[in-house]
Amino acid sequence: MSIYALIPALPLAAFVILALGGRRINGASHRVGVPAVAVSFGLSIAALAEVARNGAIAVPLYRFAAAGDLVIDVGMYIDQLATLLLPLVTGVSFVVHVYSSRYMIGDPRYRRFFAVMALFTFAMTLLVTSDNLLVTYMCWELMGICSYLLISHWAGRPSAGKAATKAFLVNAVADVGLGFGVILTFATYGTLNIQEILAQAAAVSGQSIELLGFAVERNTLITLCLLSGAMGKSAQVPMHVWLPFAMEAPTPVSALIHAATMVNAGPFLLVRMSPLVLLAPPAMVVIAIVGAITALFGALVALTQSDIKKLLAFSTISQIGFMIFACGVGAFSAAVFHLLAHGFLKGFLFLSTGSALETAGAHGHGGESIPASRTRPLALGALLLTSVPIVVLFCGPYERLWTAQQVPAAGVAFWTVAVATVFLTAFYAFRGVVSLFGANVGTSVTARPRLLSRDHVAAIAVACVAVGTLLLGAWSWLGTFLAPAVGGRLGEAEAGTFSPLAAVAVAAAVAGWSVAYAGHLRPSAVPLGQREWVKRAYVHFLNRLYFDELHDLCAVRPSLRISRWLWRDLDVRWIDRAVAGTARVSRLGAESLHRLLERSVIDRAVAGTAGVSRLGAESLHRLLERSVIDRTVHAAAATTVGLSRWLWAAVDMRKIDAAVQRLGRLAAAVGPALRGIEPRTLRQHLLIVVYWLVAAIGLSYLFTLQ
Amino acid sequence: MMPLLNDHLISLLIAVPFLGIAAILLVRGDEWARRIALLSSLAGLGLSVTLWRAFDPALPGMQFVERADWMPTFNIAYAVGVDGISVLLVLLTTLLTPLCVLASWQAITTKVKAFMSLLLLVEGAMIVVFTALDLFLFFMLWEVTMIPMYFMIVLWGGPNRIVAGLKFVLYSLAGSLLLLAGILGLYLNAGQTFDLQAMAGSQIALEAQQWIFAALVLGFAIKLPMVPFHSWLPDAHSEAPTAGSVILAGVLLKMGGYGFLRICVPVLPEASVEFSPYILWMSVAAILYGGCLALAQSDLKKLVAYSSISHMGFVTLGIFAFNQEGVQGAVLQMFNHGITTGALFLAVGLLYDRTHCRMISDYGGLHKPMPRFVVFLAIFSIASFGLPGTANFVGEFLVLVGTSYASMAMVLLAMGGIVLAAAYMLWMLQRVMLGPTSDRWALLRDLTTREILTLAPLAIIVFAAGVYPAPLVELLANSVGELIASATALATGG
Repeated sequence: MSIYALIPALPLAAFVILALGGRRINGASHRVGVPAVAVSFGLSIAALAEVARNGAIAVPLYRFAAAGDLVIDVGMYIDQLATLLLPLVTGVSFVVHVYSSRYMIGDPRYRRFFAVMALFTFAMTLLVTSDNLLVTYMCWELMGICSYLLISHWAGRPSAGKAATKAFLVNAVADVGLGFGVILTFATYGTLNIQEILAQAAAVSGQSIELLGFAVERNTLITLCLLSGAMGKSAQVPMHVWLPFAMEAPTPVSALIHAATMVNAGPFLLVRMSPLVLLAPPAMVVIAIVGAITALFGALVALTQSDIKKLLAFSTISQIGFMIFACGVGAFSAAVFHLLAHGFLKGFLFLSTGSALETAGAHGHGGESIPASRTRPLALGALLLTSVPIVVLFCGPYERLWTAQQVPAAGVAFWTVAVATVFLTAFYAFRGVVSLFGANVGTSVTARPRLLSRDHVAAIAVACVAVGTLLLGAWSWLGTFLAPAVGGRLGEAEAGTFSPLAAVAVAAAVAGWSVAYAGHLRPSAVPLGQREWVKRAYVHFLNRLYFDELHDLCAVRPSLRISRWLWRDLDVRWIDRAVAGTARVSRLGAESLHRLLERSVIDRAVAGTAGVSRLGAESLHRLLERSVIDRTVHAAAATTVGLSRWLWAAVDMRKIDAAVQRLGRLAAAVGPALRGIEPRTLRQHLLIVVYWLVAAIGLSYLFTLQ
Repeated sequence: MMPLLNDHLISLLIAVPFLGIAAILLVRGDEWARRIALLSSLAGLGLSVTLWRAFDPALPGMQFVERADWMPTFNIAYAVGVDGISVLLVLLTTLLTPLCVLASWQAITTKVKAFMSLLLLVEGAMIVVFTALDLFLFFMLWEVTMIPMYFMIVLWGGPNRIVAGLKFVLYSLAGSLLLLAGILGLYLNAGQTFDLQAMAGSQIALEAQQWIFAALVLGFAIKLPMVPFHSWLPDAHSEAPTAGSVILAGVLLKMGGYGFLRICVPVLPEASVEFSPYILWMSVAAILYGGCLALAQSDLKKLVAYSSISHMGFVTLGIFAFNQEGVQGAVLQMFNHGITTGALFLAVGLLYDRTHCRMISDYGGLHKPMPRFVVFLAIFSIASFGLPGTANFVGEFLVLVGTSYASMAMVLLAMGGIVLAAAYMLWMLQRVMLGPTSDRWALLRDLTTREILTLAPLAIIVFAAGVYPAPLVELLANSVGELIASATALATGG
C-alpha cells in the first residue's frame, strides 16, 4: 500500500474522529480537520511530482465484494488527470478549512460542520483517484449526501431544509442515469475497472442493446448515462435548479462545492471516460448541446440576479456548462484546464464575498454597501478578478473551440454560443463586483471587518492571479502532460498553441466589460434598456425561466398526486376493500349456509334422527329391557343370594371372626406407637406417593432391563 | 464440552429462548423478567455469532446438521442444519431480539412477563424456521410465529390494534393454508418425505410443480408481502408495539423470502423458471407501488411500513433473476432491510414514547432538542434508501446487476424506486428534524444511554457492511452458488 492512499484516508480519518469525538472536541474541531487536509494537500503535490516523473501510480486497496462475475476491487489510480485535480481539491479544501475555522466560530454545530467538510473532501479525492466505476459512483453519491448535510447546516431555517432536500433529490434523479450506466457498463464489459473498460471500449463499439423496444448503441447509451449523472452534480440545464438554492449553506461550503468538489465531478467524469465518450459521436452532440445551452442560460440569468451569491451560482452553472461543452466537442484537456482555473478563482471569489458580506452584514448588493474607504482595496482586487478569469478562461485553451468545426453548421452555432457567453460573462462579472464594492456609499451600515483583513484579501487575490498566470503559462505543458490520460480527437499538435482567433474572445470580453461599465456609470444609457421585450426577457431570466416552478409542476406535484391517489383510491379503497369484501362475502355465505343448510337440513335431520332414535330406544326399552334383561338380572340375583347363603352356612365364620378380632387388637396396640412417625400433612403424603412411584418405576425399569 | 457444543450448536441455539421463557415464568417480578429476557437473547446472539464464526463458507452443503426421528411413520424428523443463507438470517434474528428487549424495557409496563415470553417464543420459532431441514418442522414453527405476533399486536398495540391483529391473523392463516396445501403436495409428489434435501433431488412432474409452486408462492407472497397481498402489513406494523414492529419488519417478513429460496427454487426449479417473468414484473411493480404509497403517507410508522413493501420487492427481484449476483443481493437485502427497517422502527418507537404523536406534520425542528436522535434517524433513513457506503446499497446494487441479465428495462424501473425511496425518506427527514423548533418539542429529552446502546450497534453494522461487505458476501457465495447451479441444472436438464 502506497503512501498516496493517505490522500483520501486522512480526511476520512478526520471525519471519523470528528463524528465520534463527542462534544469535548467541539471547539477544537478545526485542529483535526485542517492538518489532515493540509497533509493531504502536501501528498497531492508529491503525487503530482511523481506522476510527472514516472507516470501513473496504481494503489490497490481492498476487495469490496465478489459475487458471481462481479468482482469489485477498491483501488486508486493516480494518473495525469487525477494528479492535476488532487491539488485543486485538497488545496481549495485546505483554504476553505482554514477560512472556516474563523468564519464558523461560535457555531453550535462547529464539529458537525468540520466533520462533513472532511467527508466531502474524502469523497472528492477518492472520486478523482478511483479506478473502479462503482467506487466512483459511491463517492458520487456520498458527495450528494455531504452537500445535503452542509446545505441543511443551519437546520432551523425552513428554507435550508427545503434546499437540501431539493439538492439531493435533483441529484438522485440524475444519478439514476449514472447508476444505470454503471450497471450497463458491467453488462457490456463484464468489469467495472475503469482502465479495463477504456481498453476494451473500441472493441465494443457498434454493439447495440435493446431497451424498451429501441436498439441503442452500447457506448452511446453509456455515455448518455454518464452525462445524466454529470448534469445532476454539475448543475446542467434542466438539473441546475439545486445549485442556486445550495446558497443556503454557509459561504465556505459554497466555495467548496463550486470550486473543489461536487460541480467539478461532472466534467471530470466525462474526461475520465473520454476514450469511451469519443466512441459515441451522437452522445457527444448531446453533451455539447447541453453544455452550450447551460453556458448561455447561466450567463443570461446571472446578468439579472441581484443577490451576489446567486449571481456567483449562475456564473458557476455557466462556466461548468462551458466545460461540458468543451467535452462535447472533444476538447478534453481544455475542459480540464478550464476546470482548474475556474476552481481556483471561484474559490477565492466565494471566500472574499463571504468575508465582504459578513462585513456588510447583508446578502445582496445595490441596496447597502460598505464605506468606500474600507472597500477600495477590495474593489481593486475584485476588478482584477473580473478581468482575470476572462483572460484565463477564454483566451488560452478555448482557441480549440473556435477551430472545432467538424460540422460547419454546428461549428457556427458553437461559435455564436461561445462568443455570446464570453460577452455575457464579462458583463455580469463586472457588473456584480462593481455594484457590490462600488462607491455608492451606504448610509448607516456599520462595518464589522473581523474575518479577513483587506491585506489578506489582496494577498489571496494576488496568489490566485499568480496561479492563473502560472496555469496560462503551463497550458502548453498541460496539453502534453494530460495526453496519456485523456482521449483526444483534435490532434495533440494543436495543444499549447494560440490561435489568432482567440482575439475574438478577448474582444467579446472587453465589449462585455465596457457595456457593463457604461451601464454602471449611466444606468439610463444601457442600450436596449427601455424596450418592452428587453424588460420582458429580463423578468423571465430574473425568474430563471421558471425552471423551479416547472419542476414543481411537472415532477414533484404529479408524483405526490399519483402517490396519494394510489394510496387512497387504489390501496385503501380497492385492495383493502377487496379483502374486506372477501371477508364479508364469506361471512354472508357462511350465514346463508347456516340458515339454509344447518337449520333446514342438518337441524331437521338431526332432530329427525333424534326422534327416530327415541322411538327406537323406547321400543327397545320396552321390548328388550323389560322382557329380556330384567328377567335375566332377576334370575341372576336370585341365584347369587342362594349361593351366598349356602357359603355362609358352609364356612365356619366364628374362627375367622376370632382371627380378625385378634388382628384388630394388635393394630390398636401398634397404632399409637406408629403415630409418632406418621406423616401428617398432605404434602408429606404426596411426597411418599411420589417416592413410591419413583421407586416403583425405577424397579420396573431395572427389571425390564434385565 | 466443545465437541458437544459444536455438535448441538443449533439445538442449543433453539433451546436458549425456550429456556428463557421457562425461567421468566418461574421468577416473580417484572424487572427479573426483563433481565432474563435480555440475558437469554444475548446468549442466543453469542451462540449465533459462534455459529457464524464456526461456519466454514468454503464447504459445500449444510453444516451442523442434527437429525433425530420424530414421527417415523410419516418420515417426519427433527432435522436442522445451516448454510450461508440460514446463518445470516439466524444472525439477524438473534441480533434484533436483544434490541427489542431493550426497546421494550420501559415502553412495556403491563404484563411484562407475558410480553417477554412471547418475544422469546417468536425468536425461538424463527430460528427453527431458518434452520429446519424438515418441511413439517418448518411449517409447524412457521405457524407458531403467528400466535405471539397476534397477541403482541392485540394486547400491547396502538388504538386500532384489534382490527390490525385480526387482519394479520386472517391473512397469515390464508397464507398458511395454501402453504400447507403446497407442502402436502410436495410430500405426496416427492416420494413421501418431508426431508428438504431429499426433495431437492426428486424430480417432480412439471404439472405438479406448477400447482405446488402456485400454492407455495401465494403462501410466501402473503408473508413477504408482495403487492396485491400486502394490505395486512401497514396496519400490523403501525399498530404493533415497537418491538413487535421490529420483529415483524426485521425478521418475520424474511421468512417469505427464505421460503422462496429454500423450497421453491431448489425443489421446484422448472416451475420457478417458468413463473419467474411474472414474479419479476410483480416485484418491479411492488418496488414502485410501495414507494409511491410511502410517499403519500402522513403517518411516520406507516411510511416505514410501506417502504418495507418497496424494499421487499428487491428481494423477490433478486431471487427470481436466477443468478449468483441477484440471489446473493436478495439475501443481503433481506439482512440489510432487517437491520435498517428494524432500526427505523426502533427510532420511531423511541420518538413515539416521548411524544405520542405519529403524524409527520406534528413534528419539526427536532434537531435542536434531540441532536443524538436526529443523527440516528438520519443514518437509518439514508441507509434505507440505499445510499452507497451503507449496507443496503450493496444488496440493492447486486440485485440490480442480477436483474440486468434478465431485463434492462426492469433495472431502470427499479432504480426509479430508489429515487422514490430517497424522496420519501428525505422529505420525512426534512419535516421531522429540520426547520424551526416549535415550543411543544423544545423540552424533549434526548436519547438515554440505554437507547443509544439499542441503536448504535445497528448503525455500526450499517456502515461496516456498507464499506466492507466482503465477509457477508463471501458467507453466501458458495451456498448461493450451489443453489443456483443445482436449480439451473435441474431446470435445464429436467
